[in-house]
Amino acid sequence: MEIPFIDTILWPIKWVVELILVAWHWLFTAIGLDPAAGLTWVLSIVGLVIVVRAALIPIFVRQIKSQRKMLEVAPQLKKIQDKYKGKKDQFSREAMSRETMELYRKTGTNPLASCLPLLLQMPIFFSLFSVLNNAQRGLAGVGPLDATLGKQFGDATLFGVAPLHDTFIGAWNAGGPWQVMLIAGLMVVLMTASQFYTQLQIMSKNQSPEAKESPMYKQQRILLYLLPLVFVFSGVAFPLGVMFYWLTSNFWTMGQQFIVIRNMPTPGSEAAKAREARLAKKGKLEPKKGAPAIEEIPEPPKPTQRQQPVNKNRAKKQGGKK
Amino acid sequence: MMSTVTAATAPVLPAWVAMILLLPRNVAIVLLRGYRAVISPLYGDVCRYYPSCSSYTLQAIQQRGLVVGSGLGIYRIVRCHPWAKGGVDDVPAVRRQKYRLTPFGFVVPASSHGKG
Repeated sequence: MEIPFIDTILWPIKWVVELILVAWHWLFTAIGLDPAAGLTWVLSIVGLVIVVRAALIPIFVRQIKSQRKMLEVAPQLKKIQDKYKGKKDQFSREAMSRETMELYRKTGTNPLASCLPLLLQMPIFFSLFSVLNNAQRGLAGVGPLDATLGKQFGDATLFGVAPLHDTFIGAWNAGGPWQVMLIAGLMVVLMTASQFYTQLQIMSKNQSPEAKESPMYKQQRILLYLLPLVFVFSGVAFPLGVMFYWLTSNFWTMGQQFIVIRNMPTPGSEAAKAREARLAKKGKLEPKKGAPAIEEIPEPPKPTQRQQPVNKNRAKKQGGKK
Repeated sequence: MMSTVTAATAPVLPAWVAMILLLPRNVAIVLLRGYRAVISPLYGDVCRYYPSCSSYTLQAIQQRGLVVGSGLGIYRIVRCHPWAKGGVDDVPAVRRQKYRLTPFGFVVPASSHGKG
């Protein structure tokens, strides 16, 4: 945490993180909560997550809008998917990704969120980490979090025994309190569960059958089961306060993803069929205009040239090719 | 037969010198591979470009070294925002490739065949 270069970059973000934390803390204290209680500070962290994620909503809305436009390019997308149907080698998959991306660019329908939201959140995470780390040593933050508040934050305890700055590994080495280990363990379980659910939702319900056949998908599936390991590692090493930020953020993502998958599913995916079924039940499914559903795309016209009769053996050989 | 001739005439660096020169980028490659294996999957696909930002940076560092490659990578990440159109965006090609890649992605001198 003593890298000057990183500290300089993070300085403004730390300042803002502290301001939001202190503002929430002030608010909760004003409505009568104990300023030194762990709960007050945990709620302040939850407040921080709400502010950060709410600030990212415009980006998210943009993503939804381009996902709606995806419906218009569905036929073209289907064409690309058909072209590479059954081709599972790396080069075909790469060529397919390239063509898909090029289609998104040309039609202005890129459904992906870009790397910016992530890039914004990582420094916030690190800032919170360093704020808690400093608070643990009774140091002041860079701005609104002065030495008194910093110490109060770091020393704030949950249930009167588990300080927010403490880590599982720290408690383990010091021989207690066991509550720190219990809370950390519980958060690891909740984090794994929420992340697992979010990913599974995206992967099993919101992907077209073609995408499910790609090796990328299988790789992602394996990684899905490796995720708990990552969380166990961070759950052991990160202070409780940081873990609370991560956990709340995970819950937000889960809810957001649920709404998207339910209302704006990827065309052709299981979730899209479920949505159509739901709408049909309510009698709200209007016949599609302009954008034909994937199933309705006409088959390419059959070649008019007469097929020459072929010898049995030759037919066998040709069967392999298309 | 051929190899002895070229080794004597062409100004090929000794393998250990090349290895030291390539060390910074190979360290960065390990870090990036680690990121791509562990942290990347936590978020799924988000990048609006092909190849993705981390894959682009990896390739850039493999081809251009740590300093230029990181610069290219940072420039790409800056361009990857919600208002970007995205699309295919490859690392600008290098005129002459002096090295080759191992299956893991390490950069090694083109002349050495697995030794060193």
